[in-house]
Amino acid sequence: MKGPLDRSKVVLRHLPPTISGSALVEQVDSRFAGRYNWFSFLPAKSSQKHQTYSRAYIDFKRPEDVIEFAEFFDGHVFVNEKGTQFKAIVEYAPSQRVPKNWSKKDGR
Amino acid sequence: PERSTRVSKVRPPLHQYIRKLLFSDLDKSSIEHVLRQLRKLPWSECEAYLLKCFMKVHRGKYGQIHLIASLTAGLSRYHDDFSVAVVDEVLEEIRVGLELNDYGMQQRRIAHMRFLGELYNYELVDSSVIFDTLYLILVFGHGTSEQDVLDPPEDCFRIRMVVTLLETCGHYFDRGSSKRKLDRFLIHFQRYILNKGVLPLDIEFDLQDLFAELRPNIMRYASIEDVNAALADLEEHERIVMSEKGNNEKHSETE
Repeated sequence: MKGPLDRSKVVLRHLPPTISGSALVEQVDSRFAGRYNWFSFLPAKSSQKHQTYSRAYIDFKRPEDVIEFAEFFDGHVFVNEKGTQFKAIVEYAPSQRVPKNWSKKDGR
Repeated sequence: PERSTRVSKVRPPLHQYIRKLLFSDLDKSSIEHVLRQLRKLPWSECEAYLLKCFMKVHRGKYGQIHLIASLTAGLSRYHDDFSVAVVDEVLEEIRVGLELNDYGMQQRRIAHMRFLGELYNYELVDSSVIFDTLYLILVFGHGTSEQDVLDPPEDCFRIRMVVTLLETCGHYFDRGSSKRKLDRFLIHFQRYILNKGVLPLDIEFDLQDLFAELRPNIMRYASIEDVNAALADLEEHERIVMSEKGNNEKHSETE
């Protein structure tokens, strides 16, 4: 089992539903450019029933970067175009798997 | 009475084709064919839609959820990022389910537990993910002001979630460290159950079946006091093992 110090993949939850992937990357990169290997953004689903949020997964190169990232983005308030505030949550991703980059091109 | 005609959703042909493959064609005998067809899709265009459809495991037959897990495993060879996304998405759905505890979502929440168990069976998640999820289910929201909304005393839904996950993959935790992890979890689970008080019969029978299947020889604890004593023993034992381990490491360092 991986201890806390081996975990490098985090999930950033409760992002504004309308935030764009590129806007988020820009904010992350302003402090953490070059310090992660993998980034995946998932826009909120449209649902009338519940408010849903956007989400991002980031795999950092070093466990220390995870700590610094959490210090900055956990509880960080994102404001959407209407002025509504969204307080982001940073957690270790429950599954630490990230795509292997050798993923072969499918010859089908 | 006059009613306006219901406007049916018009889906692009590519989406219709994906739905046909997954929701009507897929069965045990066609899975190879479906996998091949999925591989031929224009992935850059439809990966997000495919992920959405894979999450709709509750729409299909309950007994076919393992086929969707099998497809995920089959696709991971060529689209590893997709299988990672499926796992992350299922775990997120389980978490959101706990955050909302919405009665209307129960069917899909059970289907997602089954799906997670099958993803373990197809080796797309490891056992630590399963155990982290099991413990999360027991404790989420407890000790907060929302406890009465998220897990009210008479609500047995979380027991169903645990039973579903362990029914699906618990039989693999039968040796080594994962056996010990399951034994440990089952004590915590019993404490959770005892705190619920008297259970509805259908839940009680599901639990009896589960214990008979996974640990036919254990005695269920009869009272909170018994289970608390067992947990105290366990923690004491773990503490000793930990400190012995620490001593051994110190020895090997000085040698």
